Amino acid sequence: MLEEPYRWVEAIRNRREYLEDQLAGASPVIACRYADGLLLLTTTPGPRKIFEAYNQIAFAGVGHPADIEKLRKSVIDIAHLEAFNLSARDVSLQRLVNFGVGPLMKAAFDEIFRSPFIARVMVAELDPTQERETFYTVDADGSFTGADSVAVIAGTPEVADAIRAHLSQDTADQPLKQALRSCVSAWGVGRLRGEAAAEELDEPTSAQIAEAITSALESVHLEAAVLDRTLPTKTKFRLLDEPTLAAAADAATDVSGSGS
Amino acid sequence: MSSGGDWRTTPAAALTDGSDFLHLLKENGHSAPSTTSQHAGTIDTPTEGTTILAIRYREGVLVAGDRRATAGNVIVYDRAAKVLSVDDRSVMALSGSPASAYEIARLLEISFQHYRRTQLQELSLDGRLRTLSRLLRDNLPMAMQGIGAVVPIYATYEDGNPREGTEAGGKIFFYDVLGATFESVDFCTTGSGSPIIRGALYYQNRWEQPFVERDEAQALLLVLKMLETAAEFDTATGGFSATAAIYPQVMRVTRDGISDIDDETLAQTYRAANVSG
Repeated sequence: MLEEPYRWVEAIRNRREYLEDQLAGASPVIACRYADGLLLLTTTPGPRKIFEAYNQIAFAGVGHPADIEKLRKSVIDIAHLEAFNLSARDVSLQRLVNFGVGPLMKAAFDEIFRSPFIARVMVAELDPTQERETFYTVDADGSFTGADSVAVIAGTPEVADAIRAHLSQDTADQPLKQALRSCVSAWGVGRLRGEAAAEELDEPTSAQIAEAITSALESVHLEAAVLDRTLPTKTKFRLLDEPTLAAAADAATDVSGSGS
Repeated sequence: MSSGGDWRTTPAAALTDGSDFLHLLKENGHSAPSTTSQHAGTIDTPTEGTTILAIRYREGVLVAGDRRATAGNVIVYDRAAKVLSVDDRSVMALSGSPASAYEIARLLEISFQHYRRTQLQELSLDGRLRTLSRLLRDNLPMAMQGIGAVVPIYATYEDGNPREGTEAGGKIFFYDVLGATFESVDFCTTGSGSPIIRGALYYQNRWEQPFVERDEAQALLLVLKMLETAAEFDTATGGFSATAAIYPQVMRVTRDGISDIDDETLAQTYRAANVSG
């Protein structure tokens, strides 16, 4: 049936719909800069979503946990082969994405008799050389975009846009605590956006955001990691611990205080 | 790309596919140092020659090496680095052929990183020792031809595990050319200059003061004196030179991780011992 071109187009369209449907409920991963490096934040009911890929590179994904694992493994493999064959400095996001994970996801997406990756992924590099991009996001069809100050992967484009709009102020000079709070409340904005029908949401008040975060954190927990340039080790990746995250959640839901 | 995700692979194969960087290298057409092919002809004077030593002192392990690389009776280089960091808590010191040794150290470092990142857990001490052993084994064809033999010392700091009855502390392991692993209790030295100082080290530890009771300054002084002694009698071991600012390389492996002992401290230790370069 697929010999006819329009059937193929139709099959691809179905696939796209299927993917959008599968990914729609995903909790977004938000990444931004802060004073000492980069911060990545999301929530999860259990499986981890933010990982170390290489010394100065982090990987995060939303979608099916098994697909995230496969993509994570590929990114780590490529990074380490690159580091072995050339040098640690030659491991760059651009090569990981343009020649690695981008084409991999595109190939899986195009092969209509096999399952595509039900995932969107992000990679982040601390202090890239030669003015390269700090973040790359890759969609389930393999299309990728670079970003400098903020990157978001989410269930729907609307949620991602709402989060980016909320984080429009550059966080590059903020200390970790402040950047964390901004990210948590941006996550709350995304949550509200995801629950609301397309047109019925005005700019949410801080009370609404706080409520959305509080109710969401009853069933999922925060997960966050940093690429911290002040770490003395070769690896700059560090998962944030429970107390830090709890403090960030408190700060973001404290509507009586200064808010963000 | 790894075929680890292929549905046809058995669970056991998928496990090695997933975690083994050496396997990944071979699968992608890059070979580990292993060269099973037979080479015609040999290199008469490969670059080698060394004294390296490691001692367990109060806070951990000191690992030291001279800086000279030789080929026959020619000095190739007087600033060679023979003590290399493998990860945040272990170092490897090399004696033998630098070409093979650097490659092995590099593979080891990347293998451990790759394992930790893909498997989300640290490779155990036994796992790390075994990896180094495999690499030496792979290097055997080169060693057999007399051009690539490597005899490393591996030093690490282990947090104790009460359940397994192990105590926290520095550990020293050494290997033979075939890849057999041995643990040293107090000290270990290999390389062309090692026979000269082995007895002296034993004497110091047995009859003067046990190394594990010495603090860092005492341990450092001992290590530098030993290297100087080896350099006196072994042409393939480099001494130190204050004028040219060539000092041995010394690294400490302690609970806080690994770090270099800087040239300034080395120079001061020499001065305090009234040794002039």
